[in-house]
Amino acid sequence: MNQTIFWIVPIAAIVSLSFAAYFYRQMMSYDEGNEIMRKIAGHVRSGSLAYLKQQYKVVGAVFVLLTGIFAWFAYGLHVQNPWVPFAFLTGGLFSGLAGFIGMKTATNASGRTAEAARHSLDASLRLAFRSGAVMGLVVVGLGLLDISIWFAALNLFIDDPNPSHKLIVITTTILTFGMGASLQALFARVGGGIFTKAADVGADLVGKVEAGIPEDDPRNPATIADNVGDNVGDVAGMGADLYESYCGSILATAALGAAAYSRTDYQYEAVIAPMLIGAVGSLLSIAGIYSVRVKEGASSIELLRALGRGINIASVLIVVASFFVLKLLGLPNALGLWGAIVTGLLTGIFIGKATEYSTSQAYKPTQRIAEQSKTGPATVIIAGMGEGMLSVVAPVMAVVVGTILAYCFAAGEVGFSTGTMSQGLYGIGIAAVGMLSTLGITLATDAYGPIADNAGGNAEMSKLPPEVRSRTDALDALGNTTAATGKGFAIGSAALTALALLASYVEEIRIALIQKGMISFELLQGRVELEDATLLDFMQYFEVHLMNPKVLLGIFIGSMMTFLFCGLTMNAVGRAASEMVNEVRRQFRELPGILSGKDEPDYARCVTISTLAAQREMLVPALTAILAPVFMGLLFGVPGVMGLLAGALASGFSLAVFMANSGGAWDNAKKYIEEGNLGGKGSEAHKAAVIGDTVGDPFKDTSGPSLNILIKLMTMVAIVTVGVTLSFSLF
Amino acid sequence: MERYFYLSLIPESLIASQLSPFDFGNYYAVGSQKRSRGQAIYFEVDPEQLGDTFDLSEADRRCVPHEDGRPRRSVYISIYRVLERIPLSALGKLYLTTGDGRVLGLEKGSYTPPSFPEHHLYQELCPVTPRVVSELEPGTFSHSITNEKNPISMPALAFCELSLGKLSRDPDSDSIGDLPYPNIGHLRDCLKELEVRTDKTTKAVSRGMQADLLYRMVKNGFFLGKTGELLYYPMPTHEQLEREYYEWWRSALNAFGE
Repeated sequence: MNQTIFWIVPIAAIVSLSFAAYFYRQMMSYDEGNEIMRKIAGHVRSGSLAYLKQQYKVVGAVFVLLTGIFAWFAYGLHVQNPWVPFAFLTGGLFSGLAGFIGMKTATNASGRTAEAARHSLDASLRLAFRSGAVMGLVVVGLGLLDISIWFAALNLFIDDPNPSHKLIVITTTILTFGMGASLQALFARVGGGIFTKAADVGADLVGKVEAGIPEDDPRNPATIADNVGDNVGDVAGMGADLYESYCGSILATAALGAAAYSRTDYQYEAVIAPMLIGAVGSLLSIAGIYSVRVKEGASSIELLRALGRGINIASVLIVVASFFVLKLLGLPNALGLWGAIVTGLLTGIFIGKATEYSTSQAYKPTQRIAEQSKTGPATVIIAGMGEGMLSVVAPVMAVVVGTILAYCFAAGEVGFSTGTMSQGLYGIGIAAVGMLSTLGITLATDAYGPIADNAGGNAEMSKLPPEVRSRTDALDALGNTTAATGKGFAIGSAALTALALLASYVEEIRIALIQKGMISFELLQGRVELEDATLLDFMQYFEVHLMNPKVLLGIFIGSMMTFLFCGLTMNAVGRAASEMVNEVRRQFRELPGILSGKDEPDYARCVTISTLAAQREMLVPALTAILAPVFMGLLFGVPGVMGLLAGALASGFSLAVFMANSGGAWDNAKKYIEEGNLGGKGSEAHKAAVIGDTVGDPFKDTSGPSLNILIKLMTMVAIVTVGVTLSFSLF
Repeated sequence: MERYFYLSLIPESLIASQLSPFDFGNYYAVGSQKRSRGQAIYFEVDPEQLGDTFDLSEADRRCVPHEDGRPRRSVYISIYRVLERIPLSALGKLYLTTGDGRVLGLEKGSYTPPSFPEHHLYQELCPVTPRVVSELEPGTFSHSITNEKNPISMPALAFCELSLGKLSRDPDSDSIGDLPYPNIGHLRDCLKELEVRTDKTTKAVSRGMQADLLYRMVKNGFFLGKTGELLYYPMPTHEQLEREYYEWWRSALNAFGE
């Protein structure tokens, strides 16, 4: 029966994709408004797709190069799993496809959402949200489909008489497709982040500050690029990020399950459990999506509640359903594993709430930053940094407590005995799966943000009546909140996923050693068969402990990597924004009719500048992230790599939370003043807060979110190149 | 090509131009090469009503199209003590231009003084630019400051009243809300001094304008007082501005000032 139950996974994938297609068709059936609205939406759509096309060209070239290298490792040097080149390619392909569909949907939806806002708030909310749901359901649908296809195909093609060993090989092989997804995600996040902030900062500096033009004013040449940036950063970037977390958490947990339960009758069940929870979660997300609706004239709190209701319904249902799934599978300690899933879900919800507390103007931390604006930009920046650093405490503690609870629940005991370590680590993985199980709807709320934002921009530029603008403003304000909490959720899930991936790295080592022909290794307690070796045996064999300088220097370099990466991406935004500033100045100078509204700016040129800058600037940070684990492996072997990953995870998680929350809080401190506090718009306090917001832009939209990918990608690279590390390490 | 005359308040000057009021405002704010930015406030002037106070032949001579046919944008006719020499009957609509060249035209209206006592904050615009608090409502304030028997007076004054929010009734009010004025503590002190000193009706808060006027803070409108006379240009409500003059309003809200 349990062999049959697996087919729920591809069925859920197809159902999710079918609903995504249904929501997409439903959205396309709406009117896109008058000619100006269609024209503006068309500019944003063509700019977004032009960006994506250019990005896929660059990423395609990198993928071809890396696939060639992996093929050489696998078939030339025989130091790598022969399936890796193919798995790597499909991971990238599906992630790219999810980004493309999400972007196409979002850019088609924004104009239609503005048009729907002419009629009612509920209609526009539902349209924007269900368009966001296309992204959510495509990500989970394609993720589950990719996993299903690989799981079924490898089951068919891998010929191993030992079913237990076969499952370990299958799960560790599929895991490598995560690197394709991870790499695609890095390019989407870093490239999208550079694009969006180059356009945003450029548009703000010349348009708002120099020319005094308001935001979303069609006279600003960079305004379309700014709208395009919302899509490439927050739709394609966020989607690729969470696609990778989603697949990574399921696959890492499957690999950990295969290892933890290899000597039991429940190995297969432990492998498919995370897939099934993901599958059931995707179906329940659809139920949650249908429950989102509001009445006309709803306040911002009511709008937020409407989205919250959808997520809460899906979360409660998955809590109940996952219990029955585990019971149905008959896994030992099903109650404990269920506890781990609930822990993961609650951790995700807590991180979202903590992020909201740290970044929303309704709460003290952001109000304190706003207060500091009375004494100028310096104190705003100091306060934003301080509050951002303090905001790290809650999410990190949540992950710490969540990890401990998930570990103990799954291990079935209070404590950390070595005997149940594998089950405990499996629990951490399944907690990550629990956190991401309702991704279909949580990602819908994230993707909703840029759709609402662009709808607001479209309404402004099309000069729609005040009642329409007030509806799109309400939707936009809600989108800002969901975007901030979405970022917190993405970071939290990335941390938990990276923890699970780190544990599964050891499983990859086991398989790679076996493939190298090794059968056992000598330890202090005697010779241990590789098939029977525990995680601690591997740690002992490779001397992964804090007294080993290779581990310590790895930790230092891992920590440094996160700062290096942030520095590179921040400077990239600065350079790209300068180019945008020069271009906008040039257009104002050479086309004097722009400011009087007689000439139309060259929007496409600004999109091209941001696109080219993003493609050029993303290469160095991306290559740094890819090469660091490879070089570390070549120089210092497994201990160095594990130190690197631990250092990057620990510092990267904290730094990502700090940057995202500081940036979000600066943004909302400005909004708090604009709402009529501390002097309101145009005051000295407002001026200071605008500077804080500009500083925070690359924090929250480029470097912070990109760190999520960095910590996962480095682990994925380490996993994929484990054979190279084991074969060629110097020390 | 038609010729227009404008009385600019910042800086005080009489200008002839072949640009219509809205085109003139856009040009005056951002320049012919669109490289400069700056707020502008000006009246349209009926030259027929000016008499022989100004040498308008200068305009006949210089305010002509360029050789390539482009209209002449601005010819300065007079730049010193202009306001006091223009009869109020010569003044037409008042135009408010934002830093990026959006123009709003205000019609004259009839002024009704408030029926309750409260503190007032005035931004003087021309010929001098201090910001003052006063116990006097705009009409009385104007008469007082343009009364030549008063030792502290001037022949004419253009000014607007700015909102004081809750401070208009209670200078100690905790809530400053969206009052953007710098150094609120000093403003409170000035208001409290007026409450304590019954011999004093007006007190300067600042000696001059150092930044743009924030149009959103204009309470009821713009005033132009001349001995015994008062012109009033009511400002549309925020709701009206949002609904009917949205582009101008957005641009006005985008400004930084004091």
